[in-house]
Amino acid sequence: MTQQIIKSESINHKRWRKFKSLKRGYYSFILIITLYILSLFLPLFINSKALVVQYEGDYYFPAFSEVIPWVSTYYDGNMFGQDIPGAANFRQLQKSWDDSDNWLIMPIYPFNTFEDITNNENRMYEPPSTTHWLGTDNTGRDVLARMCYAFNISISFAFVLTVLNFIIGISIGGAMGYFGGKFDLFFQRFIEIWSSLPLLFVVIIISSIIQPSFALLIFIYTMVNWIFLTYYMRAEFYREKSKDYVSAAISMGQSDTKIIFKHILPNSLIPVITYFPFSMVGGILVLVSLDFLGFGLPPPTPSWGQILYVGLSNITKWWMVFSPIMAQFFTLLCIVFIGEGLREAFDPKIYSRLR
Amino acid sequence: MSDTILQIKKLNVVFPVFGGIFQHEVSQVHAVNNVDLDIISGKTIGIVGESGSGKSTLGKAIINVLKFTAPDVRVNGDIILYPQTDNAINVLKIKPSQVKLYRSDVQMIFQDPYSSLNPRMLVGDIIKEPLNINTSLSTMEKQDRVAWLLNKVGLNNEQANRYPHEFSGGQRQRIAIARALATNPKVVIADEPVSALDVSIQAQVINLMMDLQEEFNLTILFIAHDLSVVKHISTEIAVMYLGEVVEYGNTELVFSDPQHDYTKTLLESIPHPDPVGREKRKEERLKLERFSM
Repeated sequence: MTQQIIKSESINHKRWRKFKSLKRGYYSFILIITLYILSLFLPLFINSKALVVQYEGDYYFPAFSEVIPWVSTYYDGNMFGQDIPGAANFRQLQKSWDDSDNWLIMPIYPFNTFEDITNNENRMYEPPSTTHWLGTDNTGRDVLARMCYAFNISISFAFVLTVLNFIIGISIGGAMGYFGGKFDLFFQRFIEIWSSLPLLFVVIIISSIIQPSFALLIFIYTMVNWIFLTYYMRAEFYREKSKDYVSAAISMGQSDTKIIFKHILPNSLIPVITYFPFSMVGGILVLVSLDFLGFGLPPPTPSWGQILYVGLSNITKWWMVFSPIMAQFFTLLCIVFIGEGLREAFDPKIYSRLR
Repeated sequence: MSDTILQIKKLNVVFPVFGGIFQHEVSQVHAVNNVDLDIISGKTIGIVGESGSGKSTLGKAIINVLKFTAPDVRVNGDIILYPQTDNAINVLKIKPSQVKLYRSDVQMIFQDPYSSLNPRMLVGDIIKEPLNINTSLSTMEKQDRVAWLLNKVGLNNEQANRYPHEFSGGQRQRIAIARALATNPKVVIADEPVSALDVSIQAQVINLMMDLQEEFNLTILFIAHDLSVVKHISTEIAVMYLGEVVEYGNTELVFSDPQHDYTKTLLESIPHPDPVGREKRKEERLKLERFSM
């Protein structure tokens, strides 16, 4: 009989296994991650620029230029012998090249987020059809294209916001718990004052003075949202540092940084990790509501809140109400499922409610 | 040859108590009160006393971790390591050049083996940690040392790749002992190392500690409230009561002829294995004595 050496499973590995066994959360996780990664390459799927153009023996890749940041995205109509001012219209090109040697391949869904009624083909308030799957909005922009790009922006916004909040909240909360004393006292009072800042008013005031941008909104929300994480981290650090393994680390002369990052931090991250998806949900909702109120990202940016606003002011155009609500509903549902699965996987108690 | 390795002079540990609206100091708790102890090299000193008598605080003062969990604590007095050499280390006023020696020569075994090992680290890494900090061994040498230590405490080398939660309480305490011994310490403070364990496991761990003490010529400060354990392991015994050492001497002597009233009460509180039988035998003995008269 051969002796088999079983390598021990770390706690995190075990948790990941448990998370995987909770199908609802795991599939939601796979779905959201896949969709988000795909949405980073959206210009290749939903775009009015062609993927490949073969024009008089030369090859052009206009759609790819939007994925690669340092390449110019502008393709003049004259380049392809098109007699229009400004940028090339590839959909028209495709029609006009039907019986010539030149050819081009359009993306699966050949509309982009910004083309409105200035382009002759587009109509306002077009109901869903085989060309515009979710219709067009009040300026003739394709709703589906805007919905998809808005998904990317929403998730990116929520993710960046959450990650920044976590970094700041964990550092300050952890330091409060670890150093204690005067440092802790000072930050507690500071947080009490700071958290009474009326955030929505601040956003409204700032965005009435300067045009809000992605970075500015993130900055404003990070200024206040890191606070709630410090509560968890401070308490966790206080609890963990009183445990004997930390005393043992001190008694062997371990440095403060090593004690924080090697001993205390890995053992105190559980409540904040399980909070992560719910914080993402919060971030998405923040952006939607700001856009809905008109204090969000500057106008041509595709956003669910803006589509919803247009839809609600033209309530008979049901597709503009229906699509952002459904998109939000399913995205948030998936993220909540992920959060639920994570919480279950990190729960030391075993119960099979979610199986 | 009386060779003092650790000298405690007039040690006072005071925890201030805050209260009132402005959180000012309203009173103090004298956890350790004017303690003088000379600890002889190579002996096992049992420190006994009821809960709250300051024995754990004394141990924590010696490894200098009190400030960390209670920043307001006031520790006064002297704790001197190697007092008879030129290289005497005053623990409370330690010079930066001495930290490494002090941190490798004085180690602690904690009471609760469930909280004294970091649950996120492999057993091998836990034992390796003091080696990483205080020695300059190569990776291979560290590996060998870990294997050797695990062997010494009765575990095998493969268990280095496991996590603490896969071990029983007794095994965890063995791991903690291996970690404490990693840097070849001279003084080991054992803070109730067996009180969290089953009685059968207690005996194993205590015998292990006694063997290791003999082998490494350790000086062990054995803090406990279980007198029978202390009697078994220690050569000297210090009885603490309300933060003071009320009696200090050879274990046999203290047990057979306690001087202080508190020691007497403490010794009487040791439960007898057969209390009913003890009463019966006492009566019979008295009867016999009367009969023979």
